Amino acid sequence: MNSLQRIQAAVRFEQTDRVPVIPQVFGHAAVFAGKALGEYVRDGETLAHCQLKAVAHYGYDAVFALMDAGVETEAVGSHLKYHDNIYPYVDRYVIADIGDLDSLSVPDPNRSGRMPELLKAARILRRELGDEVMIVGCVLGPMTLAMQLMGPEKALFLAVDEPDLFGRVLDFASDVSITFGLAQIEAGVHAPFVFDPSASPAVVPPQFFREFLLSRLKRLFSALKSGGSLANWLHIAGPAETIFPYYPEAGVEIANFDYCVDPLRARQLLPEICLDGNIKPLSFVEATPGDISAGCAG
Amino acid sequence: MMNSQSFDRLVKALLDGDQSGAVAEAANLRNAGVDNEQIIIGGIETAMGKLDAKCTVEQFNLLEIMLAGRAVMGVIKALYPDGPPAATRETVALASLEGDVHDLGKNIVKTVLLAKGYRVVDCGKDCPLETLIDKAEREGAGIICISGLITSVMPLVRQVVPMLQARGLTNMKVLAGGAALKQASADTLNVDYVADSVFDGVRYIETSTGQAPERDQ
Repeated sequence: MNSLQRIQAAVRFEQTDRVPVIPQVFGHAAVFAGKALGEYVRDGETLAHCQLKAVAHYGYDAVFALMDAGVETEAVGSHLKYHDNIYPYVDRYVIADIGDLDSLSVPDPNRSGRMPELLKAARILRRELGDEVMIVGCVLGPMTLAMQLMGPEKALFLAVDEPDLFGRVLDFASDVSITFGLAQIEAGVHAPFVFDPSASPAVVPPQFFREFLLSRLKRLFSALKSGGSLANWLHIAGPAETIFPYYPEAGVEIANFDYCVDPLRARQLLPEICLDGNIKPLSFVEATPGDISAGCAG
Repeated sequence: MMNSQSFDRLVKALLDGDQSGAVAEAANLRNAGVDNEQIIIGGIETAMGKLDAKCTVEQFNLLEIMLAGRAVMGVIKALYPDGPPAATRETVALASLEGDVHDLGKNIVKTVLLAKGYRVVDCGKDCPLETLIDKAEREGAGIICISGLITSVMPLVRQVVPMLQARGLTNMKVLAGGAALKQASADTLNVDYVADSVFDGVRYIETSTGQAPERDQ
């Protein structure tokens, strides 16, 4: 059983030879390979080679063609600030005024911003790893991308003050993520990871998730699945138990959950969805490998 | 003489995050002869206390706090069109440290502190340690609050107290919070306190400065 088969079996609740291991090794791959993070997130070839080096060393089951949370918004027109040693961030949002929304168009992943570099990374990883190891891409979920397009405070206030208009921002964000995700699948990723930490109940209440986000996530996952994604994989950070009941309707097949969620509670709430999590991020900084192994076993 | 019921509608509007409703209720109170100070104590302070209590027993979300904070700031602006009254409480310096560009949590802390009458020196996000400490010293801050969403700033957080000590600023308290930092203990971060939420942090500030919840005169 190879890594991809192992993950696919786990998603289908079939017997596996061992539990799949998928640490979220993103920028660490650059550090591990002695490359600057600023280069890693801008050069697809560097990203792919760092990922290959890391998986060869650690021997886990999936690699990530993933740069940072600024790829989509930059491709739409936001301006990012880059550093050598930290992830880039938006210093000018493309939607400065909500009227700007009408002038935006969904970016072509083959020509816009760093999207082509990410697709290049996906192609290299697939060429080198084939169907042995899972190649994971990444798109932002609608809530997180909406915040990345216009800034978090402006986005949240718009949602309350002008919900219909905010819905249009979410629809546009979903279109961007669908287009980018499908291009990633075409370039070779087995499944784009949908990264939507801002949809967390720590940020917006569960009713907000139900009213604004559920239908958009459902559309996103449906499109990715139709495009050939092997598994609909969702990450929402924080205490997400209150929105877990919506995951089946959204079409989630792998639910990534945070350290603050009790795994047994997650299993009760999502009995038919594959769970991945929930080692405390700080443990990778402070704990020993033994502590982490014990945490996984426990 | 106003009783607490007189402020119920204002408190409800603030808790609902209804800015225009809250501003209208504050205007009604003014028209009824209630002065600004009473409106702040009976309305804003009461609403913040209720929000704190609610966030302690229920899962809180940033949106709710932001909306209440916006309504509070709207009322203060309406009551003091020429600018807010001078802060009556401690000066607090806030920052997300160099390498951390997330400032939503920091901004919410700022709003709550302003609403409670603190003077806030916002040092922004991606803030170098030297800049934070320079500003805190220059502005006479009693407390430094560091918000952190990523674990990579932890080594910087650990340096704050030694840097303050090197400048003789031994009375300045250091408070940490945010999704990454709250995973660690105060000892690990070498700070005075690690807050689990915005209101937990504000309670620590109130306690450590010995300042009563009511607005000082």
